[in-house]
Amino acid sequence: MRFFLFVLLGIFFLASCAKKEIKVLTFAVGGAPNEIDVWEKFVDEFEHNSGIKVNILRQPTDTDQRRQGLVIPLKARKSDPDIFLMDVAWIAQFAASGWLKPLDDYVKEDGIDARIFFSNVVNLADKYKGNLIALPVYVDGGLLYYRKDLLKKYGYTKSPSTWQELVDYCLRVQGDVRKYNPDFYGFVWQGAQYEGLVCNFLEFTGSNNGGIIFEDGKILLNLSENVEAARFMCDLIHKYKISPANTFTEMREEEVRIFFQQGNALFERNWPYAWALHQSDDSGVKDKVGIAPLPHFRSGKSIATLGGWHIGISRYSDAKKESWEFVKFVISYETQKNLTLKLGWNPARKEIYQDKEVIKKIPHFVDLRTIFENTYPRPNLPYYTQISEVLQRSLNAILAGKLSAGVALKKAEEEIQNVTQRYREE
Amino acid sequence: MLPKGTEKSKELIEAYSFISPLLLFILLFIFVPVVGTIVTSWFKATTFLSEKFIFFENYRLLFKDVNFWQSAQFTFLFILVSVPIELFLGILFALVLNCTIPLRGLLRVCVLIPWAIPAAISARIWELIYNYNYGLLNFLFMKLGIIPKPINWLGTSLGAFFSLIIADVWKTTSFVAIILLAGLQVIPEELYAQAQVDRADFLQRFYRVTLPLLKPAIIVVLLFRTIDALRVFDLIYVITSGGPGGTTTSLSLYAYKYFVGGDFGYGSALSVILFLIAFFMSIVYVKLAGFSKEIA
Repeated sequence: MRFFLFVLLGIFFLASCAKKEIKVLTFAVGGAPNEIDVWEKFVDEFEHNSGIKVNILRQPTDTDQRRQGLVIPLKARKSDPDIFLMDVAWIAQFAASGWLKPLDDYVKEDGIDARIFFSNVVNLADKYKGNLIALPVYVDGGLLYYRKDLLKKYGYTKSPSTWQELVDYCLRVQGDVRKYNPDFYGFVWQGAQYEGLVCNFLEFTGSNNGGIIFEDGKILLNLSENVEAARFMCDLIHKYKISPANTFTEMREEEVRIFFQQGNALFERNWPYAWALHQSDDSGVKDKVGIAPLPHFRSGKSIATLGGWHIGISRYSDAKKESWEFVKFVISYETQKNLTLKLGWNPARKEIYQDKEVIKKIPHFVDLRTIFENTYPRPNLPYYTQISEVLQRSLNAILAGKLSAGVALKKAEEEIQNVTQRYREE
Repeated sequence: MLPKGTEKSKELIEAYSFISPLLLFILLFIFVPVVGTIVTSWFKATTFLSEKFIFFENYRLLFKDVNFWQSAQFTFLFILVSVPIELFLGILFALVLNCTIPLRGLLRVCVLIPWAIPAAISARIWELIYNYNYGLLNFLFMKLGIIPKPINWLGTSLGAFFSLIIADVWKTTSFVAIILLAGLQVIPEELYAQAQVDRADFLQRFYRVTLPLLKPAIIVVLLFRTIDALRVFDLIYVITSGGPGGTTTSLSLYAYKYFVGGDFGYGSALSVILFLIAFFMSIVYVKLAGFSKEIA
């Protein structure tokens, strides 16, 4: 009996020693099941090469739920998760909350040149108050998908470069195609009351030299450029009727993608993920789709809203050095290339867009590079969510025809002023 | 035959020791979170700013917040329209299910189905029914020639409001019906027999016998339904997510948006207001029901 006790104690002792020596990293990542499976393969590879053990904390697909799943342990200062992926829209909130370990020293020590990434992405999204607090894993930007076959049939040689051209194309093609397909519409985009609407709005306004402007600590929204762009968004639905009536109630990414994929639209605004699905075997538009930068207003230039996910290390992690090793692995050329080949994601490293193997498999990658160089992030503010709330509500009211663009944007600017006042640092 | 003196206090201790697990449970899982939320609501508690005690400042901002008043108005309209319809239909269903009709057992099960479906899923079903492009409603109405072209049901504030009401009524009427059915079954058959002897007609029997004896069950149902309608979240989150233009934002959806955005102080203040409304509603209902009287 006594012998048995000694053995037991011995095991406990050894176990506790072993635990101290090997640190296990926790990596929180969400997404579709097939995406997490790919991450699991990456982790196996990393464990094999580095000898550092990593546990994957599986998160849901929904962005808000993923954020909640991180906010809770971070607010409680838990040492797990050590590493996580963040949507570009919440980096500022996480940084201002002091949850992110600055990466400047690591980057300097390892001689990593931030110029390997799209410079606008790193400079505008991954820096907070001068510190580098995250690194991009993959990027997203709004694209114009168009029906190659239909444009050719109606004698158009290139995709529209201005919004007015897009309207002209749509009116002509839509009228004709409706003779045999009454469900056909010219242009589908995201107008429901959610974050995607703000992304679309920033592209319309950005391409009119407008947007959300910061001036003397104030946020300006009620600009003539923005009013014009918002009125145009409303006109697409109610005046030109080239976007379906449910644009402002039901149209989110997937609804838009399915609508286009069923062959019911000439143009579509969506993120790059739609490409692979449009090209799948059960798609109604396989091999009939082209991509182009979004159109712009006469005086502006094309803009894509920056989306995508970034990797960061928790300030409360008990294994920061090992976590950095993992971050380095994720942003390495090989991993980034594999993300592209296996999931069709758009890596943050620019060189991948010139990789021969990648281009051979995904020829449109060459065009994507120029689009990502013209991406523009959403305001990099810790209280961006509250600002987005105001925008979503006001813009949706414009699209629903409840308020005129001028009135709604004036009200929204006032509300945003209150939001900034409330969350301003003292 | 109650034991006296020390015997009695001993019994009292015994009684308390029996209910102590429940008390502990209530203390830990209901009292602590409620107090915690109230305390948080006195702070400027965001994740990204230093925490600061501001006492009633969140409430002051709340009462000045137009969107708060709009969601409060929406929530109360939602209660005032949905609960009476559910009660009316629920009584009707309960009366039918209480009759001896063929396949009664099967019918009772069927009525329960909408209530047994998780709210998020039934909301999804309704979202598909209302859908503009491939929704069932537009399809049927167009086939029947009632409308010439599809209608965007969720596109106007009024349309969105009634779409939500219909979905809620569909889902919860069965709950009302089942509770009332249970209430009907405890009404003794002899009372109806006596009423028939007194030559009371059907309506008289309903108003003089059924309704008064059903009152406790009705109050219970009203209490549940009112408070559920006050907290309505999943249905709206899925079907309209507050649109169009924010006109269908319920109070709990509004509070949720602040929690997601990292402003726990303001979100808590909103939750406290919701809690207080629910609390006072419950008191009113319990007083109406006269439960405390019966026990005493």
